[in-house]
Amino acid sequence: MKTATSRVRGVEHDIVQMPQVGDVSPYYEPQGNEVAVFEAAYKRRLPVMLKGPTGCGKTRFLEYMAFQLKRPLVTVSCHEDLTSSDLVGRFLLEGADTIWHDGPLTRAVKTGAICYLDEIVEARTDSTVVIHSLTDHRRKLTIEKKGQEIDAHEDFMLVISYNPGYQTVLKDLKPSTKQRFIAINFDFPPEEVERKILLREVPGTKPEIAQQLVAIGRKARLLKDHGLEESTSTRALVYAASMMGAGLDPVVACQVAMVNPITDDVELSDALMEIVNAHFA
Amino acid sequence: MKYSPAVTKALAQLRELSVVAHREVEQVLPAIVPHGEDVALQWLAACTALFSFERDAGKAFIRGSLDVERVSETVLPWTGQALAFMQWRASWRALEGFMANVARAYGSLGHAGEQRWAEIGFQWCARQIESGAAYFATPVLELAGRHGGITAIEQLAAPAEELYESRKLMLSTYLPGAIRVRNLLGAQAILSWASRGADIMQSGRARGEAYFRLESEESLSLLLEHLPGYRLTDRNRLLAMLLDVWFGGEFDLRESAWSPEKGRPFIETDGRSIYFPAVMADREEAILAVLHTAGHMRYRTFDRTAMQDMFAEAKVDFPKTGVVSWAPLFMRFGDDALRFQLVFDICEDLRVDFGVQHNVPNYLKRMRNAAHGLGVRHPETAAYYDLALASLDAALAHGSGGAVDPRFAPLFEPGATVADAYRVAVTIHRTMSLPAVTDLEAFHAAYLPGRSPNASRMAHPQESDDESQQTQSGADQNSQQQEEGGEETEAPKNAESGDQGEDGEKQEMPSYGDSSGQSARASGQSDKEGPHHGSSDKGIPYPEWDYRESRYKRNWSWVQEKRLAESNMAETQRLMKQYANALKRLKKAIQSQKPTRTAPLTQQLDGDDMDLNAVVSYVAEKRAGRSPRPNIYKRREIRQREVAVTLLADMSTSIMQHLPEGGGRLVDRVRAGVLLFAESMEEVGDAYSIAGFCSKYRDNVSYYTLKGFDETMSEDIRAQIGGMSGRLATRMGAAIRHATARFEGVESRRRLLLILSDGRPEDYDDGGDRRYLHEDTRMAVKEAVAKGVHPFCVTVDTMANQYLPQIFGPGHYLVLDHINSLPNKLPEIYLRLRR
Repeated sequence: MKTATSRVRGVEHDIVQMPQVGDVSPYYEPQGNEVAVFEAAYKRRLPVMLKGPTGCGKTRFLEYMAFQLKRPLVTVSCHEDLTSSDLVGRFLLEGADTIWHDGPLTRAVKTGAICYLDEIVEARTDSTVVIHSLTDHRRKLTIEKKGQEIDAHEDFMLVISYNPGYQTVLKDLKPSTKQRFIAINFDFPPEEVERKILLREVPGTKPEIAQQLVAIGRKARLLKDHGLEESTSTRALVYAASMMGAGLDPVVACQVAMVNPITDDVELSDALMEIVNAHFA
Repeated sequence: MKYSPAVTKALAQLRELSVVAHREVEQVLPAIVPHGEDVALQWLAACTALFSFERDAGKAFIRGSLDVERVSETVLPWTGQALAFMQWRASWRALEGFMANVARAYGSLGHAGEQRWAEIGFQWCARQIESGAAYFATPVLELAGRHGGITAIEQLAAPAEELYESRKLMLSTYLPGAIRVRNLLGAQAILSWASRGADIMQSGRARGEAYFRLESEESLSLLLEHLPGYRLTDRNRLLAMLLDVWFGGEFDLRESAWSPEKGRPFIETDGRSIYFPAVMADREEAILAVLHTAGHMRYRTFDRTAMQDMFAEAKVDFPKTGVVSWAPLFMRFGDDALRFQLVFDICEDLRVDFGVQHNVPNYLKRMRNAAHGLGVRHPETAAYYDLALASLDAALAHGSGGAVDPRFAPLFEPGATVADAYRVAVTIHRTMSLPAVTDLEAFHAAYLPGRSPNASRMAHPQESDDESQQTQSGADQNSQQQEEGGEETEAPKNAESGDQGEDGEKQEMPSYGDSSGQSARASGQSDKEGPHHGSSDKGIPYPEWDYRESRYKRNWSWVQEKRLAESNMAETQRLMKQYANALKRLKKAIQSQKPTRTAPLTQQLDGDDMDLNAVVSYVAEKRAGRSPRPNIYKRREIRQREVAVTLLADMSTSIMQHLPEGGGRLVDRVRAGVLLFAESMEEVGDAYSIAGFCSKYRDNVSYYTLKGFDETMSEDIRAQIGGMSGRLATRMGAAIRHATARFEGVESRRRLLLILSDGRPEDYDDGGDRRYLHEDTRMAVKEAVAKGVHPFCVTVDTMANQYLPQIFGPGHYLVLDHINSLPNKLPEIYLRLRR
C-alpha cells in the first residue's frame, strides 16, 4: 500500500511531491469541523495556524488535507538555530561558481505547495518575520539576498503549528504574527474517535485492548496538573498498541510507550503505572 | 497418702518450721513421690531451705512445683536451679518469676532450652537482682516472640549484655521496650535502638527511661524510621495523584497519630479527611486502602440522610449537629458489639468497594488477590475474614452477571446506602453464628487488606446537597484560617491592626486624613508607613476592572511601595543550612546550562574567531557579484541579558497557616523558595527583582520590594527574605499592574513576572464576590502581556485549577501539589521558563 508520504523508501526525492494517482490517503479521523474550516481557508488561501498539544494529530491532519486538496506538502521543523536563509535560500559554492539555492519556503511559494512550519515558536523571531509579507494580502516573498520578490503561486498556502505549553510562555508568537492566521484548536480526540484511531493505525489490535488503552490515556491526562510537561498523547497510545502488536506484554508496552518517555519523576511514573496496572490487572 | 519413713520425717521437720509450708507441700508431694524417695527427699530439703531462706521464696517454689513437675516430668534439675537463687540477696522475686515461668519454659523450649533460659537469667541475677527478676518475671512466650525459640531469647539478651559491659545498662530498663522493638522490627534492630537509649540514659535518667518505655518522641520516631513496610509519609503526593486520577477532585489527606504500639496500621476517614499512618505493610495494601477510604467519601458512608436513616433503624437518637459517634449503634448489642461491628463493616465496605470498582478497573479483583495473598489468618476471626472474602466474590459475581449470594444482593443496588448495609448486617448477624471476638489484635486481623474499622473516628455527617457541602467546607476553611491567624506567634510587626477581626464586617474605609484615620493611628499604630498620612502617601493609583459594568474604574486601587520592616538573619541562616544541598545541586545544574548562555555570538563584524558558515556564505555571495556585509566573525562574550524576572510573592495571612502534613508553616517554604530563587538567580546572572504584596481595601495595597532590579544581593536582602511573613489579603490585580510598571526601564527582550501564590485573589472589600477580583486580575494579566511582560503563576493551592486557567490562561500557571517541593521547584520553574 502506498501513501503520499511513503513513496519509494531509501531514496532521496524532492521535498515538493505532488500526490499521485494510486496513492492512498493518509488516515485521519475528523474530530469536529476542522476539515471544513481548513477547506474554507484554502479556498481563500488564508494562512492557518494549528494549535494543540504534542501528538494529538496536527501533522497528520495536514498530511490528510494536503492529499484531499491534491497539493504537495513541504514541512519545515523549526528549531532555535533556524535562520531566514534556511527558509528562503542561500548562495552555495559549486565548483568555481556560486549558485543560488531556493530554500523550502521559496520552493513552496514557487510551486504552489502547502508549506508547513512545524513548532514555529522554536524559531528565532527574526526568521519568522519573513513570513509576514506572505500572510497578508500581498502574498509576496522577498528574497533579500538576491534583491528579488516572488508573488506566491496561486495555490500556495502557509500553515504553522504550535503547542501552547508552559515552556513557551516566553517564546510565544508575537500578537502581530498571530493575528494573521486562521487558528484551529486541536485537542486529544474524544474516546470513541481515539479508539477508532487505534484500531485503524495498528491493524490487529483487539477492540478491548484499544478500549483499555484509551481509558488509560484519559486517566493519565488527568495528571497533567501534577507536573507533567506533556500529557499522554494519542501518538503514545498508538505506540503502545503497536508495541503490543509486536508481541510485548501490555504493561511493559504501556510503560515504555506512555510512561517512561514523558516523565523522570518517580512518583509521577508510579502514579501512571498504577493506572496502567489497574487496567491490565 | 502413706509416705516412707524418711519422707514422713522430713515432712514433720517442715511442719515444725511452718504450718503453712507443710500444708502447701502436702498438696504437691503426691506428684513428687513417684520419682523415688531420694528425689522426694531432695525436693523436701529444697523446700525447707528456700522457706527458711525467705518465706515467699519457699512458698513460690512449692506452689510452682506441681506444674513444673507435670510439664517437665523431672524434679531435680529445676529444684537445683531454684536453689541457686539462694546465692543472691533479696532474690525471692526473681525466684517467684522463675517458678511462674519455668513450666512454660520446659513446655516451649524443651529441656536444653530451659537450661539455657535459666542460665541467662542467672547471669543477670548475678549482675543486678532486679534485672534477673525482670527477666524471669517476663513470660517465656513473650521473651521468645511469636516464632522464636531459645535462639530468639539469646538474640534478645545479647545486646543487653553488650550494653551492660559498655554502658552499665540494666536489663530491667531494657527488656520491655526491647521485646516490643524486636516484635516490630526484628532482632537486628534492637542494638541500634538500645545503644541510642543508653546514650540518652546517661544524659538523664527520666528521659532515658521514657525512651525505653517507647514513650518519648525520639524513641518513636526512631522506630517509625526503621519500621519495615511501605512509608506513606513520603508518598503523600502519589496518593493524592491517585485519588485525583480515580475519583477526581480533592481529598484532604492527613497523617494520623498512629504508632506501632496501636496495632495494625489503617487508613481511616471521618467523612472529611483521610488519615493515613506513617507506614503500612506494603504498597498494595496502602493503595487499596487509600482507594477504599476515598470510596467511603465518594459513595457517601457519611451522608447525613443515610446516617439518620440508619440510626432510626437502630432506634438510636441521631444528633442534629456536630460530630456523630458510631458507638450507640453497636452498644445495643452489648457484649456482642465487636461481633456486630465486624459484620457491619463487612457489609458497608462491600457496598463501598462495589462502588469503587466503577471508578477503578479491576479494583475488586485486586483486593481479592491481596486478601488471598495474606496467608496466615488470626484463628479467632478467620471466619469474618472468610465472610468478607465471600462477599467480595459475590460482588465480582454480580459484576459478571453470575449467581450472587442473596444475603449481599441489596448492597449492589444502585441506590444502596449505609443504612442498607446496616440492615443487611443485622440480618447476617442474627442468622449466622460467628465466633466471639475479644482480642484487639484478632479484631484488627479480621479486616481485608485495604479495609479498616469504619467506626474508629467520630463521623462528620455530610450534607446530601453538594452545594451546601461545599459552602460548609468553605466556611470551615475560613474559620480554620482565622484560628490559624489567631494563634500566630510571630505577629507581623508592620501589619495593620485587627486584620482578622474585621474580616466579616464590611466597613467603608474612613477617608484619608479625617479624624477617624488620625485616631486609628493614634491608638497604638506604630506603623510608620501607614497610609493615613495624607494624600502624598496615598501611593500610586491604578485602574481596576469592574466586570459588572464592563469598564475600568479609574484610580481605583492605590499601591504603596514599602520596605519590609522586619528582617531575620537567623532564619535566613537556618534556611541556608537546611537547603545547602539543594542549593548546591541547583547551582551545579545552572552551571551545566551556562555554555548555552555564553554561546559564541555568530555573524559578528569583529571577533576572535571565524564563523565558518558566515565565511562560506560571504564568499559565495561575493562571487555572485553581491557585496555582503563582512560579518564573518564569532565572539565569545556574555550575551546581552535577555531575560528579566520579578518574583512577586503573595504575602497574605494565609501563608501563615501550618502545613497539613506538619513540619512548620507555609511561610517557611515561601521564605526558602524565595531565598533559593535569589541565590540561583545570582548564579544565572539574569536581571531580577523580588517583591511581596498584600492588601486591605482598594486604597491600601502594600508592595514590598525586597530587591530591586538595580540592587545587588546583600546580607540585608537575605535577612529580609528570612523575615517575610503574611498579613492581610490578596488584591492581585493591583500588584500585577504595579510589578508590570516596575519593569519599565529594564532593558530585556523577555520579561517574566513570576507570581508565587497560595490562593485566589481576595480582599476585604470584594463583598464576597470572588468573580470581581478574578476578572480584575485577568485584565491585569492581559495588560501586562500587552506591555511585553509575561505573568506566570506558581501556586500551592491545590484547588487552583478551578480559577487559574481563567485568570492566567492555560499553560501560564503551575500547581505544586507538594508544598515541600516549593523551595526546590521555584528556581527550576524559572530555569525551564527561560529556556
